[in-house]
Amino acid sequence: MSSSDEQSFSNEQALIAELEAFKASSSKTIDKLSRDLSRQKRIMERSDKRQQREYDELQTRLQEIRDLSEEIEATQREVVFTMGSIGESRSKETGNHVKRVAEYSYLLAKFYGLSEKECQILKEASPMHDIGKVAIPDAILNKPGRLDDAERKVMDTHARLGYDMLKHSKRLLLKTASIVAYEHHEKYDGNGYPQGNKGEEIHIYGRITALADVFDALGSERVYKAKWSDDKIFSLLREERGKHFDPNLIDIFFDKLDVFLEVRDRLTDIK
Amino acid sequence: MESLIIEETKYTPKISMDAASGVIEMSGKSYPENTFDFYAPVMKWLEDYFTTTNKIVINMEIIYFNSSSSKLFFDFFDLCDEKRDTHDIEINWIYDADNENAEEAGEDFIEDFEFLRINLVVKK
Repeated sequence: MSSSDEQSFSNEQALIAELEAFKASSSKTIDKLSRDLSRQKRIMERSDKRQQREYDELQTRLQEIRDLSEEIEATQREVVFTMGSIGESRSKETGNHVKRVAEYSYLLAKFYGLSEKECQILKEASPMHDIGKVAIPDAILNKPGRLDDAERKVMDTHARLGYDMLKHSKRLLLKTASIVAYEHHEKYDGNGYPQGNKGEEIHIYGRITALADVFDALGSERVYKAKWSDDKIFSLLREERGKHFDPNLIDIFFDKLDVFLEVRDRLTDIK
Repeated sequence: MESLIIEETKYTPKISMDAASGVIEMSGKSYPENTFDFYAPVMKWLEDYFTTTNKIVINMEIIYFNSSSSKLFFDFFDLCDEKRDTHDIEINWIYDADNENAEEAGEDFIEDFEFLRINLVVKK
């Protein structure tokens, strides 16, 4: 063999070795590719199945949470309403008073232009306006006839007492109730209590429940007074426009009088 | 060789690859934004580590994972599979008794890697 033949033989050998190596590595790559491809389909199918199951489970859990939060809200509403009723029952007022005040408050808030959410909250909180009365002695609370000055003073503390009971809460509903309890005896001209605030210094919730409460109280029989006629009630409300009551709310009230009277008829106390 | 520790995030698991003990742990969820980038250092670490030792224990407790993570775990087990004749590799796939998905995933891995030692470990 000549040296050039030898050279060419060794070149061939090198080339073959290179080709063998290439074959081995490409076959390895092809194996991996084909394994990946065949695996890919299974991975996707399993993932889809898994994700669908996870989705179903999330939906179920979400529904449970929704149900729970509804339950919590309903419980809150019921507790708040019941607390309001306790306040009322101690002062022997009729059961539907709180319901009517709630409805009137809702309507006034709605016609005044508050958001639906706020109207709802106010409706649910307004039955608590007299909750402070639970701390007023029976002798004063249920005294037939007029209270003397000292008794009146004690009676008037119910607004602040109610506020003190509720003010610490972080719950929107109870916070709203604390405002209502505190401010429902304020008067637009500043002659109310406990703070003597006037005009828009009084929270809109306070101004609304003041009107709702008085309108209903005048039309109901109480231990210390007979039921007033509508004419008498309306003339008092007109007279107190801008004095006891927010003039805008009085205007709204008479503007939508039919709606308020409809609520009153629907929630009449059955004797 | 240094250990590799990756802290858990909302979408990615905690990963601890201990060079001294040869114990690799992954736990949590696996929904990385870019799965292959996220696991690249993990794969690199494992490849390097195989050259320094022949005994490894892998504890995986992955609660939820997306499809690209699933693919990645297959690749991860492929790496182990290549070394199964030269290295002592033990894989523990850990899951909660009520996590049917994790259990099935573990069964899938066992089916695909019949020569790897993969144990299903139910957490009580």
